[in-house]
Amino acid sequence: MVELGLNVPALISYLINYVVLLILLGALAYRPLLNALDSRVDSIRESLAAADRAREEAASSRSAIEEELNEARREGQRLLDQAREAAERFREEEMERARQSAEEFSERARADIARERDAAVDEVRAAFGDLAISAAERIIRRSVDRQAHQELIDQVLAEGEQALRRN
Amino acid sequence: MTTKRILLLLGIVSAVLLIVGFVVGAVGSRMFGLERPFVSQPGIHLPPDPVFPASVRESVVGYRVADKKTDDHGEKAADHGSSEGKESAEEEHHGLGLMQFAVTNTMLSAWLTSIIMLVFFIGGARNPKVIPSRLQALVEMLFELVLNFASSILGPEMGRRAFPVVATIFFFVLFNAWLAIFLIPIYQAVGYGAHVGGEFKLATHLVRPAGTDLNFPLALALVSFVFVEYWGFRAHGFGYLKKFFAFGDILRGRPSGLINVFVGILELVSELVRIVSFTFRLFGNMTAGEILVVMITFLVPFIATQFVFGLELLVGLIQSVIFAGLTLVFLSVAVSHEEH
Repeated sequence: MVELGLNVPALISYLINYVVLLILLGALAYRPLLNALDSRVDSIRESLAAADRAREEAASSRSAIEEELNEARREGQRLLDQAREAAERFREEEMERARQSAEEFSERARADIARERDAAVDEVRAAFGDLAISAAERIIRRSVDRQAHQELIDQVLAEGEQALRRN
Repeated sequence: MTTKRILLLLGIVSAVLLIVGFVVGAVGSRMFGLERPFVSQPGIHLPPDPVFPASVRESVVGYRVADKKTDDHGEKAADHGSSEGKESAEEEHHGLGLMQFAVTNTMLSAWLTSIIMLVFFIGGARNPKVIPSRLQALVEMLFELVLNFASSILGPEMGRRAFPVVATIFFFVLFNAWLAIFLIPIYQAVGYGAHVGGEFKLATHLVRPAGTDLNFPLALALVSFVFVEYWGFRAHGFGYLKKFFAFGDILRGRPSGLINVFVGILELVSELVRIVSFTFRLFGNMTAGEILVVMITFLVPFIATQFVFGLELLVGLIQSVIFAGLTLVFLSVAVSHEEH
């Protein structure tokens, strides 16, 4: 083995060389750089997650906006319906009022007519009384038979009727 | 058009260099009757050369040609079986003794690799930002590559725990192998030598890839072994030893327990043999690569070596992946809760 170059001090020197190299590289190269690689992996993972989150947020906010828009649309529709209903109600009320006033008016007119008619009837009745008196006067003045008597009454009635019609 | 022309020119230059290299190389010089090859025959020696202190270097690496010539040149020439003339320098590499300490050129290479790794990785990992700089992105990519590799074998949690040890092994082996290719001028041409007959000859390189030093892969194999056994004990407690010393059935009086005992011994042996296989796999591949480079340079200098360098890049990557991958696999076996 010595012919091949086996030499204990050289072996020890290489071992020390290796260990020193391992310690220096481990502390100053491997650890910092592998940590940097890890943190880069983490940061990439985080930023991907953040991008996902942002995308989700954008989607959710869009749906929220759409929801609000729909809400507003529904609200507008509701207001419109309300207004329409109010207008309808108002129209109906107005119509009711008009109908009522028309009825009142016609009622009043009818009452007036009835009163006028009653007055006319009273007047006629009074006129009939006069007529009856004059008819009686005439009957008494002239004695007439039964037929003449009937004719006379008819005549008076016809006159009364004419007088009623005139009024 | 211009690019095409440049490429064509490069191709022609490469072809000419290849031909010239072949002619002046070891094979061509013999074929065409040249005096001696452009590159002298390389001396292959497996043990690393000590560089510091100089006294050890001079005692171990015999490049003082003048002394040798006067003292025992003939003997050395005979030893190495050199067919060259008297003027040639005979390198002699005794190698260090088992307990002898010296800073070797492979150690220097490991230190250089360590410094470059520290500068590169700490530079990339200092003040990490969410949007990374180019260096940080590069380092991150490398780390993630190893981390994903570890996680694919051990699962995310255990992979993260094993990452520092395995990544350090992986990058140490890889950077060390590739540095020798990217810094060829330093690795191949800088060193100590001597003037031989008015010509400077390199005897010892200042830096040599640490993979070609048996101690480097052995150290990494020991690290891997200790790491795996540590996690084995941590995952199973002392029950981990039952895997190797399976006397349970035998003590309960079941004769079939003999098989378990035998399997346990096999497990133990294979566990220990891993150190050897780890060591020699890396050592063999790296050393073979270096030998291939010098041999190709000797046989066909200049351009042919480029292909070997390309191959060596691949070998360096494969060896580092294998070293790290096997550590991970052994670790996953050690921490798995299957009954053996």
